[in-house]
Amino acid sequence: MSSEPIERRVSYLGDRLRGTRCQICGKEYFEIRDYCGNCGRKSFGKMLDTDLFYEKGELEVCTLVNEPTNKFMKLGSYVYGIVSFHDGKIRVPGRLTDHMVKCDEDIDFSNLEGRPVTPRFRRRYSVDKNDVIPTISLTFTFADEYYPHQNHSFLKPRKEYDVAGIVGYGCYSSRFRIKEGNMQRAIPFIDEDAITAAVEAGKLALIHSGINNSRVGKIYVGSESNPYAVKPIASKVAQVLRLGEEDEDDVQGVDAVDTEFACKAATSVFKDAVSLVNYSGSNVDNAMVIGADNSQSAPRDCPGGELDLFVGYGAAAFIFGKNDVIAEVEGWYSCTSDTPDFWRRDGEAFPMHGGRFTGDPAYFKHVRKASKKLMERLGLQAGDIDYFVAHQPNAQFPVKVAKELGFKEEQYLPSLQVVKFGNTYSGASPVGLAAVLDVAKPDSRILVASYGSGAGSDAYSLLTTSQILEKRSRQKLTVKYQAENPYLEYVDYTTYRRLKVGM
Amino acid sequence: MQNLPAIVAAGRTKFGEHYEKEPEKLIEESWLKASIEANLERKDIEACYLSDYFLPITNKLGLEEGFLSELTELHVPMEVTRSFSSALTNACNAIIAGRHDVVLVGGIEKMTDRWDKIRDDLMLLEDPWSFYAGCTPEANHELMLRAYIRKYGLKGEDLEKLNVALAQISVNNHLHGMKNEFAQYQRKITVENVLNARKEARKPLGLYDFAPISDGAATLILSSDKTAKKLTAKPVYIQGFSSATDFLTFPARDDLTHFIVTRIAMRNALKMAGVTLKDLQLLELYDQSTIMEMVSLEDMGFCETGKAWKDIFESCQDYKDYYDVNGKQLFVNMNGGLKADGNPLGATGGAQIFEVFRQLRREAGERQVKSNEGLEHGCVLELEGFGTKGYIYVLGSEKK
Repeated sequence: MSSEPIERRVSYLGDRLRGTRCQICGKEYFEIRDYCGNCGRKSFGKMLDTDLFYEKGELEVCTLVNEPTNKFMKLGSYVYGIVSFHDGKIRVPGRLTDHMVKCDEDIDFSNLEGRPVTPRFRRRYSVDKNDVIPTISLTFTFADEYYPHQNHSFLKPRKEYDVAGIVGYGCYSSRFRIKEGNMQRAIPFIDEDAITAAVEAGKLALIHSGINNSRVGKIYVGSESNPYAVKPIASKVAQVLRLGEEDEDDVQGVDAVDTEFACKAATSVFKDAVSLVNYSGSNVDNAMVIGADNSQSAPRDCPGGELDLFVGYGAAAFIFGKNDVIAEVEGWYSCTSDTPDFWRRDGEAFPMHGGRFTGDPAYFKHVRKASKKLMERLGLQAGDIDYFVAHQPNAQFPVKVAKELGFKEEQYLPSLQVVKFGNTYSGASPVGLAAVLDVAKPDSRILVASYGSGAGSDAYSLLTTSQILEKRSRQKLTVKYQAENPYLEYVDYTTYRRLKVGM
Repeated sequence: MQNLPAIVAAGRTKFGEHYEKEPEKLIEESWLKASIEANLERKDIEACYLSDYFLPITNKLGLEEGFLSELTELHVPMEVTRSFSSALTNACNAIIAGRHDVVLVGGIEKMTDRWDKIRDDLMLLEDPWSFYAGCTPEANHELMLRAYIRKYGLKGEDLEKLNVALAQISVNNHLHGMKNEFAQYQRKITVENVLNARKEARKPLGLYDFAPISDGAATLILSSDKTAKKLTAKPVYIQGFSSATDFLTFPARDDLTHFIVTRIAMRNALKMAGVTLKDLQLLELYDQSTIMEMVSLEDMGFCETGKAWKDIFESCQDYKDYYDVNGKQLFVNMNGGLKADGNPLGATGGAQIFEVFRQLRREAGERQVKSNEGLEHGCVLELEGFGTKGYIYVLGSEKK
């Protein structure tokens, strides 16, 4: 049993890599300090809170760990070393993550030393099933590989829109893939899960939006693979990304909540986020919605194992607001029926589903209805819409429903990401939407129709603005970049299952 | 005039696995040996200074003093510290101050009782942030070596020589260990063994570069110089001692290639003893790893910074039982060091002092050094954690 108070204190510093800088002599520390060792008592009150969360470091020296301590055993072999920041002013210990060391691989450490690295938020080590899951950002990846370093800078608000909409977004998927037939699917690294994906996506959305994290007053995280039955992902996201106003008491001034409705847990609350930022009394300038899943499936030969051919890993985050909007939300329509086509009982590791009945009367009926009703309400024909994004549990369903609704390839293909990342459950239609936002021109209309088993669909119509082009250069980790990255690593079925189960 | 602490007797157990014995049994064994040597009874002891690094974790024994009291039926003041050197420092201070005249200093560790979880414990205690980041007890040593190679720009032939020199350190320690009846490993190893183990591990350091985990105990009986002469014909005097402290988090230190604690403690201990490096030929170093022994030679000032590997490499072309550093004979780790003698943390320093005590009394048998300058002094370095604390003792067979 790990100790909750200790875990929390380590996480509080380690998740964000919090530090301190003496404003008199400039000395920097990892960990929070009230005074500087150089300047002594006169530095009281002159120590600045800093953190290394968005910084680029350098792997100074490293070695191989192939006999880890018990808590790190599931990682197998890994590269471990010392990372320096700010030209060596701060040094921290660090493990290289997303980096599998083969059992017969001879590593030339001098090829790794001196290279730039980026801190990544991950699970710290293995604990018992009943313990708090420890996390840390003393895990790094090379900035010259899959995950580039990106500066986090705030944009001065320029224009307030009448209609609220998306002000920034981010999509995150891991470096690992399994390839079977025409389909590639993303797999978490062993220290990743729905929580780490949610934080990553949120971080990328903040980078893209240019808004100040303290201006986010609400965070929703939709997932069906939260490693906790009780304990929100959103609270972790709020703390790591420092959302909302901060006082001295390390409690974030933000409302955080998790939602669950199979694969529409996130899209369902887009409208709540939009409404919230529109309501003048809410005092919420921005609301963030994240859909994140380490999509669950039983192994192939077990009941429910059919899903094992489709499940992926990833997350997408959207920040809603009224300043510097890149896509206005024109309207929405949601529908629900109690159709149990896919479910997971409490305490069970893997979901079950209704086989042939998941298409009709489940998926198609709801997606069709929500899309048609919204088009009717807004007086739109298929031809008025530039992009159609549907929930994508596989490559066939979204194409079939798109054709039925009268959409052509050029309208629905850009959103079709399931063949690159797999079904990312709560992140599925959000990842599709992110892919479209990555390429859409100003004044384009996007129709999104999610689907959540159980069952329901949310349809939204979005209208892009000119600012979509201005903000585009702020994001290197686009959906396409992650799908076609030269540093992707492909693994076999056994490794895929091991990584998916995680630490 | 101030009292001078003197060692009048020493006892120790064999280091290694004592599967069948409780920790108390080990301390009893070493205490008996020392008390017989000094012809002392328990009631003659005025205070006990005991050290164990983490018996409360390995053996779930807290209040270790109570166990010792029960065993000895003594009710004198007893204090527990983490390292033997730390216990000895307290004992020396008490004697110098005139507070006590005859005291027992004991060290004990029972690491194999928790062999399955000990690496997690060691790492967490040694450097928690590094542990959280995935460090192992071995990794910090390897990072120090990597930093050393980078700092001094070693490559090609020099790098090869450094690697062989480090292997030689292990080979020498095993060679010395063969002559030590108490040593955990009393067998010869070769440079090839060391190099192959590194290759197998695919790391800068391998199995043979590291000291083992061990069980064991060691005891000294310490008195003031005045009383010492009544208890033994050949007391060994503690002429100088000092310690220093550094950050727990290894990456946060300014210098990743050396131990500042060794440098500071050495300077102060030499000053206290009134001796110089020239007077010292017999050294017991804290070789938890081969790199630790190498940098210690630099930190203590015997080898030039960044050059110890060269001195060791050249000495080992035809190794007798000493390193030849610019014509000076340095007898290092005659008991086999931590590598061969063993490393039961709380007792390790006791075994180091034990060795110098025997050598200065010319009682080291087969291992007795034959110095070309006459052997009057010995020097001991003990570290706690990964260089978080450093203790230096300068011992001499004569009063200063």
